Amino acid sequence: MADTPAPELHWPKDPKYISQSTRRIDAVAKLTGKARYSSDIQAEGWLYGMILRSKWAAARITSINCEKALKVPGIKAAVTVKDGERRIHYYGEELAAVAGTSKTACLDALRAIEVKADELPFAVREEDAMKPDAPKVWDDTDSNVSKPKVTERGEVDKAFSECSAVVEGFFVTPVQIHHPMETHGNTVSWTDEGVTAYASTQGISSVRDGLAGALKVPNSQVRVLTDYMGGGFGAKFGQGVEGTLAARLSKEAKAPVRLMLTRFDQALAVGNRPSSFQKIKLGATADGKLHAFQLESYGTAGIGAGASSAGGGGGADFPAPYLYKIANDNVRVTQTTVAVNAGSARAFRAPGNPTASFAMESILDELAVKMGVDPLELRIKNDPNKERQQEYKVGAERFGWKEKYKKPGSSPGVIKTGIGLASATWGGGGSKNTRGEVQISPDGSVEVRMGVQDLGTGTRTVLAVIAAEVFGLKPEQITVKIGDTHYPPGPGSGGSTTCASISPAIFDTCTNALQQLQTQTGIADARGENWLGACKKLGVNPLTVQGKWQEGLSSRGAGGVQFAEVAVDTETGLVTVKKMTCVHDCGLIINKLTLESQIYGGVIMGMGYALYEQRVMDRQSGVVLNPNFETYKLTGLSDMPEFDIVLLNMPERGVIGIGEPATIPTASAIANAVANAIGVRVSSLPITPDKVLQALGKVPTAKPESVS
Amino acid sequence: MKSFAYASARSVDSAQQMVGDNGQYLAGGNDLLGLLKEYLVDPKILVNIKSIPGMDKIEPSGKVWNIGALVTVAQIESDPGIKKTFPGLAQAAADVGSQQIRNVASVGGNLAQHSRCWYFRHRDVLCLKKEGDMCYARHGENKFHSLFTGNNCISPVVSNLAIAFAALDAVAVVQREGQPVRMTMAELYAKAFDNPTAHNSLNPGDLILKVEVPVTRTHSAYLQTSEKHEFDWALVSCAAAAKVADGKLSQARVALGSISPVPHQVKGANDFLEGKTLDDATASQAADLILKNAKPHGHNDYKIPMAHAMIRRTLLKLNG
Repeated sequence: MADTPAPELHWPKDPKYISQSTRRIDAVAKLTGKARYSSDIQAEGWLYGMILRSKWAAARITSINCEKALKVPGIKAAVTVKDGERRIHYYGEELAAVAGTSKTACLDALRAIEVKADELPFAVREEDAMKPDAPKVWDDTDSNVSKPKVTERGEVDKAFSECSAVVEGFFVTPVQIHHPMETHGNTVSWTDEGVTAYASTQGISSVRDGLAGALKVPNSQVRVLTDYMGGGFGAKFGQGVEGTLAARLSKEAKAPVRLMLTRFDQALAVGNRPSSFQKIKLGATADGKLHAFQLESYGTAGIGAGASSAGGGGGADFPAPYLYKIANDNVRVTQTTVAVNAGSARAFRAPGNPTASFAMESILDELAVKMGVDPLELRIKNDPNKERQQEYKVGAERFGWKEKYKKPGSSPGVIKTGIGLASATWGGGGSKNTRGEVQISPDGSVEVRMGVQDLGTGTRTVLAVIAAEVFGLKPEQITVKIGDTHYPPGPGSGGSTTCASISPAIFDTCTNALQQLQTQTGIADARGENWLGACKKLGVNPLTVQGKWQEGLSSRGAGGVQFAEVAVDTETGLVTVKKMTCVHDCGLIINKLTLESQIYGGVIMGMGYALYEQRVMDRQSGVVLNPNFETYKLTGLSDMPEFDIVLLNMPERGVIGIGEPATIPTASAIANAVANAIGVRVSSLPITPDKVLQALGKVPTAKPESVS
Repeated sequence: MKSFAYASARSVDSAQQMVGDNGQYLAGGNDLLGLLKEYLVDPKILVNIKSIPGMDKIEPSGKVWNIGALVTVAQIESDPGIKKTFPGLAQAAADVGSQQIRNVASVGGNLAQHSRCWYFRHRDVLCLKKEGDMCYARHGENKFHSLFTGNNCISPVVSNLAIAFAALDAVAVVQREGQPVRMTMAELYAKAFDNPTAHNSLNPGDLILKVEVPVTRTHSAYLQTSEKHEFDWALVSCAAAAKVADGKLSQARVALGSISPVPHQVKGANDFLEGKTLDDATASQAADLILKNAKPHGHNDYKIPMAHAMIRRTLLKLNG
């Protein structure tokens, strides 16, 4: 059926629900436990699944024997990831899996699997892997370091000589782990009829395609269901090794297998944000305009980086220069990535951006200090974006920037306060392949269906709000069905594209349905109080109508500016974030309440990047030393600042996503506030007490960090 | 986790009989569950001691308070009498883990808990503490580790209560081979200072019955610094207690946690404080004495200035 051009659609001028605050329509289900998350699924006759992982950071496996595991009482199946010889590249790489009637049976079985392996040398830290004589992560390479990606524009050397102020710095960001509250995993049933997977995923369609490919089953015989899931942050688009293993175990055991990873597993093999080591140089002319930029960087994306990963595998490069305009584009950027024996990176909330932002915003503040200008003014002068120009003004006013700003280190006393700011930019945009369906029943009930999943951001509620707006009903009157590949295709929840994909599609769908209802029943306006009457006239059959994403209702380009106020204890090094003022734009706001939640979440995650989170690798044993929440530290309730969130509603721009920009500038703003407070800069994240004391020169015996 | 037998004890004697040489006592279970799940302990039997009557009491008196081993950390934190008489102890309890942990954690368990060293706790690292042949932390990632030790392992003691008890000169009463044995906090941990595989001086089957806290010292304080504001282990903890009369200290005790396998106490510093009036300079001199001979390992050097500040602050709190 050929698509007929739809009449041009416009968002309603005076909406009743759009841009207002609607509570999540599934709040009660979530709070009462009625909502079933992927990890809650108990399919008929299900078995536990568990994975055996490599305890070596590098090894050649010669054999894996599961015979004894199969004899453990309760064990119904055991499979290896790959039979025969194989090379292992990192601690935690999957070797085999078992399915059984209890967790303890599975644990016993994992310990009964016999693995023969030759240990090989490894390098788990960037500085070790970069050495010329370092063990090679990939056998077929002669270096762990990739060929540099070089960008050079303008006349950089000449430009630096024209600058009246030049600053240089070296900045380090750690490997951050996604750690969604619900771990990765699935319940998979593979029978002769096909494959059904209850997946904890942010992309039901990509999991369906991934499973079909890995299992060599026709796409049409794979169904993926995700009613509720507990977060992904970019790491849950595929079925993963764990999904494929669950399917194979299911086939073998002839029963559904629930294989959810443990928190320990989560730290090893399902993604992370690459590290970065950035040598950066920035210059400005006397008028305060940025004039020249130079960056040399490296970082690791685990085994998915370095020489063998050219063009793929989640590289460790990032946008540079970030966000601000450099005159005549006088820019020289050299980026390399280094492979280490550790789990591969995956897309992580605004990939590359918080990393790029930290060094750029830090060096920008250094430049402001050197030139003796207000960091806010320097940004206003060099930020080409007109929404952010508005945000600097609104935010500075709300935050009280002018009153609070003082010279770095001039705060009196032992506990010093300081302020800082940083900005964010993000693309986003909608997926034009998105489709929706609505069924209107003669009793007036409405069911909206779309093959999208709710990552936890409020996707269900967004669909309900728009449907309610079009039909003149209340959001709670709309039943929203999502998380099923049998519904019309929705987008993956990533890249801050969900809202901009589903909103136009469901608006089109509902608008079509309303027109059809009106045409079919002869009621000129079936909305609101006329709704029931109109629906009754449908007779016996419900009305089912589809629609699709339409141009003009969404766009790209969200931004934001965040202001941080901190207190730093200069004797213990502890940083306390006192206040975050966050000003963001994302075009037309659909639901203010869940949008604010996105910003809270983004800032809280950014605080983790700033102050707490870091994957620690041990160079001696090759293991991840902190595969738990005891020593991989996350922002907690008592660490929370006062929040002030300001949203600029710009209906004329259409819908734009917010998930990612909300987290980009947080760590940078906090780092700048810390430097403003204590007068010296902690140039590596996270800003932990040891680093603060060291920056303050209070650690007399301190040796240089092992990071050279 | 391997299978094990489970039994509830009705008396201290029956508990000791049942636990034998290969059993573990179960009270709050916070530490034990982690050890079991990581295959770090392999008990044949878990003996529930919560069923033993009379061990969960806080008994005030004019000279010595008795705090039963089954008293929860939350009880210590919120008991009005303890808050008034031993504020340092109440604060040490308040800084343990999270509210949920404090609600079930017992005094005995807090004292007897094992090392939190991330090498020791890692299922695939065989370190000195697990009878391996090297201390990985010594040449590896040691930001959370000790400044003082008498052996090659640099895992520190992390019990908050031990630090507060040490400053108060409290004594643990331990049932050993059918007899109660009284041990100072120094004695309760002494073995860990010399022996890498020990977490404390308790032998298999030993059971902490109670802690006796003398009321001699009128003032006490406790402070810790962690990387997070709550629900995090101390990087450095410090407790101080003294009798304060007319602004002068007597019988002052300072103890630090997370910088040694034992509560770190320096007699010379305690002696130095005798009869002194507390001010910045005095507190600072005491701190110098306490941290003399600290031996950092590359990532934990920061603990020296941090501990110095903590000692000064904790001591000055005794004035207030």
